[in-house]
Amino acid sequence: MADRDEIAEAYADWRVRCNENDRLRRMLRGWDRVVHLVATDTGDRFTVEVRDQMLAELADGAEAVPDLVVTATSEDFADLFWGDLNPSEKYMSGEITLAGAQEDVMRLDAMSMVAFLDQ
Amino acid sequence: MSTEPTGPAAWPEFGYRGPVQDRDCEALIIGAGYAGLSAARELTRAGIDVLVLEARDRVGGRVWTTTTATGATVDHGGQWIGPGQDRLQKLADESGAETFPTFTTGEAVEWRDGNRATYAGLIPTSDTTAAADGIEAIFELDLASAHIPLEAPWDAPEARLRDEQTLGSWLAATVTSAGARNIITAAVKSIFGTEPGELSLLFTLFYLHSGGGLMNLARTTNGAQERRFAGGAQQCALYLAHELAGRVLLSSPVSSVAYGPDGVTAIVDRPEPGGHPVRVRARRCIVAMPPALSVRLDWTPPLPGRRDQLSMRAPMGSVTKIHAVYDRPFWRDHGLNGQVVSDQGAVRVSFDDSPPEASHGILLGFIAGDECRALDSATPAVRAEVALADFVRYFGPQAAHPLELVEQHWPAERYTRGGPVAVFSPGLLTGFGPALRDPVGPVHWAGTETATVWCGYIDGALSSGVRAAAEVLAALSH
Repeated sequence: MADRDEIAEAYADWRVRCNENDRLRRMLRGWDRVVHLVATDTGDRFTVEVRDQMLAELADGAEAVPDLVVTATSEDFADLFWGDLNPSEKYMSGEITLAGAQEDVMRLDAMSMVAFLDQ
Repeated sequence: MSTEPTGPAAWPEFGYRGPVQDRDCEALIIGAGYAGLSAARELTRAGIDVLVLEARDRVGGRVWTTTTATGATVDHGGQWIGPGQDRLQKLADESGAETFPTFTTGEAVEWRDGNRATYAGLIPTSDTTAAADGIEAIFELDLASAHIPLEAPWDAPEARLRDEQTLGSWLAATVTSAGARNIITAAVKSIFGTEPGELSLLFTLFYLHSGGGLMNLARTTNGAQERRFAGGAQQCALYLAHELAGRVLLSSPVSSVAYGPDGVTAIVDRPEPGGHPVRVRARRCIVAMPPALSVRLDWTPPLPGRRDQLSMRAPMGSVTKIHAVYDRPFWRDHGLNGQVVSDQGAVRVSFDDSPPEASHGILLGFIAGDECRALDSATPAVRAEVALADFVRYFGPQAAHPLELVEQHWPAERYTRGGPVAVFSPGLLTGFGPALRDPVGPVHWAGTETATVWCGYIDGALSSGVRAAAEVLAALSH
């Protein structure tokens, strides 16, 4: 189990890497969205905003109406942001779920894979 | 070891078995695949007198299930159902056909540049840059596909420019990493049965949009290969045929069709001993066949040039399906899920095709595109040997000793001539597109190639039948 602080710390690390990744910046063009993260075991909720091809800082709690909702265990969120977890594997096994419009799901799916591969 | 399907499965007695005579009906349907059966059901429910003529001795078209000598159930053609395929799901529910998840637990095998590796997730990861390039390319294709209007892809932005390109030329110009191109090529070959250089880019984008994107079409879980039918994918077709009892004539290949303002007259060559040609007259006709096969009928008068030439530009893909049947799925013991992506050999994509209770272990291999053509003149035994060598390379020496190997070489199947789908060449959609569905006098067109959603899939075949039936109903009510 990962607590809020650990997830926040891992996300901060991941955010820097993502925002410095040219490929991800390209893939984020024209895609401003609000994403909620829901930790299934702890019930913790976070909000990530994507704006102008950049990931914003992690906000505590579920803010605004989300375009996408990602559910996973707190541990998986932490591992994902530390770059230790292949999101494609967890999505395929059903342990990570994505809810939202089909195109938004495809985008997040692809971008999370690129973030994992391109580190 | 046998190399031929040892079926056929016991065909239920749904077909008309009595003496075949000339007859009249309101609507004639040529082809008892999912499209034709779906159209027949709609029309029958509306009270129309329907007759379905099927050339083969079975229904299902490109979906065909048999039981092998060792008692394994194998699908020689279409076999999967995934999220969003609502028509097929509804039919499965109605018919009581059970589905179960495609086996995905464990890692897949990647064969690249002569080296074997394993990976988890959607895409091989031994070369992470190639993998990321591949994901970005798929991402760009899927984004572009979302702007293709499904009803009229020829009206898409830059339609002509895209219809002049192929997927192959786009990959060559856009994707710098050879590894990424190989990954996408392997996926495309098993989806279309063809090389990327043969596919119009516009058609590719349309097809991707129609099925929810390449990412979706390549996936097992959360994608087009998510689930299988416990008793084989043909059983829903058998269910429809039962419902249509007596209205489906098997082993009844239509050789010619004459059409005019009053309707159609089809001549059926009955191949059985003592069989004589039979004449069927109908007010309307639905041709539920791939375009390339529809023009093998002798049409009088000749079909309009636009429709005829469309068919010349829509060849069938080239695919062989090979099932290696073992006593158990031994690869699972090694943490493998039976899936392969390879840049070498005849089989370059595979799946675990074992039954739900794993009473057998079955590896399904696709031999597609150039590899299928290279082995076209080989005997089934030779193709089986080549495929087996690939399975050994991917899964180890235990793969060398299957109980049996069963192949279906679709290009040689008389009434299909390839698969899994028709491949639209450059220029087809922008030059001839509307002729895909535009009726020709009393003749209407169905088949998965005419579908706007899930084009190329069973679900698309079903919806195409419903659409064509609605056209016929509207015409008959005038």
